[in-house]
Amino acid sequence: MSKAYNTDRPLVMHIDLNSCFATVEQQSRPLLRGRPVAVVNRRTENTAIITASYEAKKYGVKVGMRFKEAKLLVPDIIAVETDPAKYRFVYHKMMDMMKTYSPHVVMKSIDEGVIDFKHATAQMRARDLRDIGEEIKQRMKDEIGSAMRCNVGISTNRFLAKTAAGLHKPDGLDVITHENLRETFATMELTDLTGIAKHNEHRLNAVGIETPLQFLDASAEILHKMVFKSVCGEEWHQRLRGYEVDDREFDLKTVGRQYVLESPHLSSEKILQRLHHLAESVGAKLRSQNKVARGVFVYVKTYERTYWHARRMCEMPFYSNQAIYALASQLFAGAPGHIREIGVSCYELGDDLDPQLSLFGDKLATEKQLVAAIDELNGRYGDRTIHAADTLGTGMYVKQKIPFGSTRYL
Amino acid sequence: MNDETLLNERIEVITVFGEGLNPCRPVRFRRSSGREIEVTEIGLRHPSVQGRRMIHIFDVTDGGADYRLEFDSERLTWHLTREADHYE
Repeated sequence: MSKAYNTDRPLVMHIDLNSCFATVEQQSRPLLRGRPVAVVNRRTENTAIITASYEAKKYGVKVGMRFKEAKLLVPDIIAVETDPAKYRFVYHKMMDMMKTYSPHVVMKSIDEGVIDFKHATAQMRARDLRDIGEEIKQRMKDEIGSAMRCNVGISTNRFLAKTAAGLHKPDGLDVITHENLRETFATMELTDLTGIAKHNEHRLNAVGIETPLQFLDASAEILHKMVFKSVCGEEWHQRLRGYEVDDREFDLKTVGRQYVLESPHLSSEKILQRLHHLAESVGAKLRSQNKVARGVFVYVKTYERTYWHARRMCEMPFYSNQAIYALASQLFAGAPGHIREIGVSCYELGDDLDPQLSLFGDKLATEKQLVAAIDELNGRYGDRTIHAADTLGTGMYVKQKIPFGSTRYL
Repeated sequence: MNDETLLNERIEVITVFGEGLNPCRPVRFRRSSGREIEVTEIGLRHPSVQGRRMIHIFDVTDGGADYRLEFDSERLTWHLTREADHYE
């Protein structure tokens, strides 16, 4: 394993939209520009902030903060409800733009992506990547709107490119090479590094590593044996030096959805209706990936901050909304009261199977045809054209959410 | 909170079809009350698929309020679906 820094030419570019949802809202609603804006899922005082504009961040407003707390910091902050269709449109514009530079583009989430120029044409590679970064910034303005801004980071691997993109927000463009790596790390805290949150910081602190430079200087052996106690240690050793260890995809392990109840006074029947709505969403997500599941997991968070969960594995795989809800509602019978948040997930996922192989082939084949017909109708006439009768009134509360962290459903 | 009104108001719109970032540009619209509003800027235009129907959503402003106009490309109708002002 190399101890030296990666001296290759930096050919990985990370592009990150600044305060993505707030910026898109300021783009689409010109009167919001230059004002403190908080994007929220629900326009209530207790709602958590999903994204804040830079004008709000300047006064200390943070993601996850309650809106009423943000109002204490910035009394004239404006709450805007999320509009996923708009963000998806910008995501696709951004991805199309990035693909004009290299076929190897990976979108890491709804607001950030990576262009790997190692797989670009020789003509493209011959260009200065800083120029391309500036060009992309200008194209964002020309092809989406004048208020759009993004950070661009360039380096030899994804980790350092993302680190570079975070150095000068908003609207920065930075390059990290083996030459300025130490200088860059000297200005940072451990938790500024992507992947190092409180838990990992404590692990590093426990062996005397307090700064990114000390982290960089630690041997692969110490990181493996004393800090991460796994192969993750060697990976961090390589990652910090600019070698690529993150160019891989992970299989889909679970599909889930959660919902914070709109009121603390809902009856059990109404909570079950919302659970049913979640089960329908989870079923649609599962089938959109051509997967079947064998396990269902439900959880509850209460107003007393307690957490309850239950799970069940089945011998036969399932994929229909009906099957997911039947299992989830059985499990839910043991849930405590005074519920604040509910969630449903499917796990033990596998590829869609041919029902004819099973002893229950006929029954499964009939169910499959029915589910396929419902999915086709919903695809033709719009989501939730056909749904369970008891979720008739839930759509106005359990709205479509923004898929953070995964681009599978965009 | 800002003042935001959700509407479903059929409107008449003068639209220019041309080139550039927004090849379809609503430039002026008349509300059911008869009030005419001049669009000074299109913030963002994005499509929204409702089943097989394509709705084009235009977030626009007249400088005093932000409006959302929706053009149904199947029925060829325009609706005003949101008005937001008084960002105080």
